[in-house]
Amino acid sequence: MKRMGINEFQDKLFTGKLDRRQAFGALAAVGVLPTVMTFGAGRARAAQQPLVLEWSGYEIPELYPPYAAKHGEPDFSFFATEQEMATKIRNGYPADITHPCADSWGRMDDGGLLKAIDTSRLTNWPDVFEGLREHHSIHDADGNVKMIPADWGNSSIIYRTDLYDGEESWCMLFDERYEGKLSMLDSESALLVAGLCHGFGADSFNMTDEMLAEVRPLVEKQARLVRFYWGDQTEVETAMASGEIVAAYAWNSAVKSLKDQGIPVAYAVPKEGILNWLCGLSITNVGTGDEDLVYEYLDAWLSPEAGKFLLEEYGYGHANKITFEISDPQKIADLGFPSDPVEMLNNGLMFQPYDPVVLEKMVDMFDEVKIGL
Amino acid sequence: MSDQTQAAGTYSQAEEQTTFGFKLRALFLKHEWLRGYLLLSPTLLVMICLMCVPLFMLVAYSFWTQNYLDIDKTFTLANYEAYFQKPIYAALMFKSIRMSLYCTFATLLLAYPMAYFIAFKVTKNKLIWLILITVPFWTSYLLRVFAWKVILGFNGVINSGLISLGIINEPLEFLLYNPTAVVLTLAHAWAAFAILPIYVSLEKIDRSLLEAATDLGDTPKERFWRVTWPLSLPGVIAAGLLVFIPTVGDYVTPKLVGGTTGIMIGNIVQSQFGKANNWPMGAALSVISMLMITILVVTFIAATNRARAKN
Repeated sequence: MKRMGINEFQDKLFTGKLDRRQAFGALAAVGVLPTVMTFGAGRARAAQQPLVLEWSGYEIPELYPPYAAKHGEPDFSFFATEQEMATKIRNGYPADITHPCADSWGRMDDGGLLKAIDTSRLTNWPDVFEGLREHHSIHDADGNVKMIPADWGNSSIIYRTDLYDGEESWCMLFDERYEGKLSMLDSESALLVAGLCHGFGADSFNMTDEMLAEVRPLVEKQARLVRFYWGDQTEVETAMASGEIVAAYAWNSAVKSLKDQGIPVAYAVPKEGILNWLCGLSITNVGTGDEDLVYEYLDAWLSPEAGKFLLEEYGYGHANKITFEISDPQKIADLGFPSDPVEMLNNGLMFQPYDPVVLEKMVDMFDEVKIGL
Repeated sequence: MSDQTQAAGTYSQAEEQTTFGFKLRALFLKHEWLRGYLLLSPTLLVMICLMCVPLFMLVAYSFWTQNYLDIDKTFTLANYEAYFQKPIYAALMFKSIRMSLYCTFATLLLAYPMAYFIAFKVTKNKLIWLILITVPFWTSYLLRVFAWKVILGFNGVINSGLISLGIINEPLEFLLYNPTAVVLTLAHAWAAFAILPIYVSLEKIDRSLLEAATDLGDTPKERFWRVTWPLSLPGVIAAGLLVFIPTVGDYVTPKLVGGTTGIMIGNIVQSQFGKANNWPMGAALSVISMLMITILVVTFIAATNRARAKN
């Protein structure tokens, strides 16, 4: 085939004189070029950046400053719920690092997906609160660390103080008076919250079939009352800022971000107990990234600079105790965090792992309720 | 002389036996169908690897069961039994089909005038018009869905517009998070897939037929219904199928704009493969959806063929 100039190609294209062979030739040339370019780019990179499977909003370089300064940004992919994340990795998604919580990494470990973390490779490890380093919820049965503690905080109800009127309780999310103005996380946590409102307390983490049947009407009621189930916390933030919703299940960062915008919101301390969580980073054994980079990334997350940003801008607690020395004391006081996270973790209702069988029943029930049957 | 022939014979025989390439060539020259498959082979390979194998796996999975982390590979119909025992699945299937039908109808209704305009009223720069129609498709599907969230949202374009005009005081809440929002968003998202086939069939209509109809005393309206519409039907049918088939299984749109009432079967399939961690059930649901859609489409095509044969 005779090579055509671009002008000739254009002329022929618009006058319709381009024959099929020429057209395909041109298309092939356009298609081959980017493919070849990516090959080159892949080789040029020295060590392979790790792939991090994260909650959305955790990809910004301020959360791992030493790493970002040295190696740039790793590759990111996102999940909305830990179930989704675990399934994705279990089915071969080659993430190197992921961000589970104390109650959810066990399910991945059961599938043999997590590597034991060698904490001696983390320079910031000695600065992590001792209570967290030793906490039972980060070790497996053999005493290996399977998740390095990184962020901690609460799960509760955020509400508009000017638009919602009532006692601070988990039952706020089932308040008939605010039909179409509530929102819940799109997850089986809806059943947990129903259990808490129903008065099951810590047993809500391990409900029997009878208990599940008992909370089902509540969950059905909630499905009728909510404006939407959210998958990304920004949905809650925008809807609450506009007054579309007045009360929603959310994490500390939503309170922080809405207060910063001057919206009158409060974070409820439900009379049944506030929920506490401890999350962190785990290393999977399905990843293909460079192991030294993986450890550097983990170490960067534990750095006090990362913690300061997490605390001041996102409103979450951090595992490194130096964070609390260098952050704005006023901001720490505003968040109402205790001086040692272990104190908090031991007081409120700490998230506990669900039994896998119970969890599947919960997920199924939640789906059924959402469809309205 | 006889020696010479023999020598030549042995030579070519030896050649045939030793060179694999020669043998292969002979084989291809002998059989025309083999040459056909050779030409098809790149496409065929892609189809087998990316369509047939996954489809086969899907069907296989639907006969297995999952127990927490392990897939139990003994053959069982349990997933299909569950489909018929739990009313939610069938109900959701019918709801999805209904919503898709609404969406197809809405898409065709909006696409036909547009295609008609380009085919009959635009005389210059048709190509530019066609490209303009595809412009929304240069952005991602997700962005188009989000655009509708902005338009229909609580303080979105419509609500703020109406409030600033003083027509309403409170934002209208029925705009977003319901099945209508899903139908509307899908109708827009798939518009080009309807406009193009309808345009092609309208463009193909012989203009002298329209002149003849006018000459014989048809009013423009009669002319449309007696000549243009029947001749554009193949395009309309193709467009309908192109929109209906993919929208039944869509899950992104219902997830983003459907709220609690706009859920479709795709959302449940996604949940089964995702957080519910039950691939076999998700596979069974997918297989049933495919069967249902196939039955519907085949029935529809058979009906149109019969109708055409009658005429």
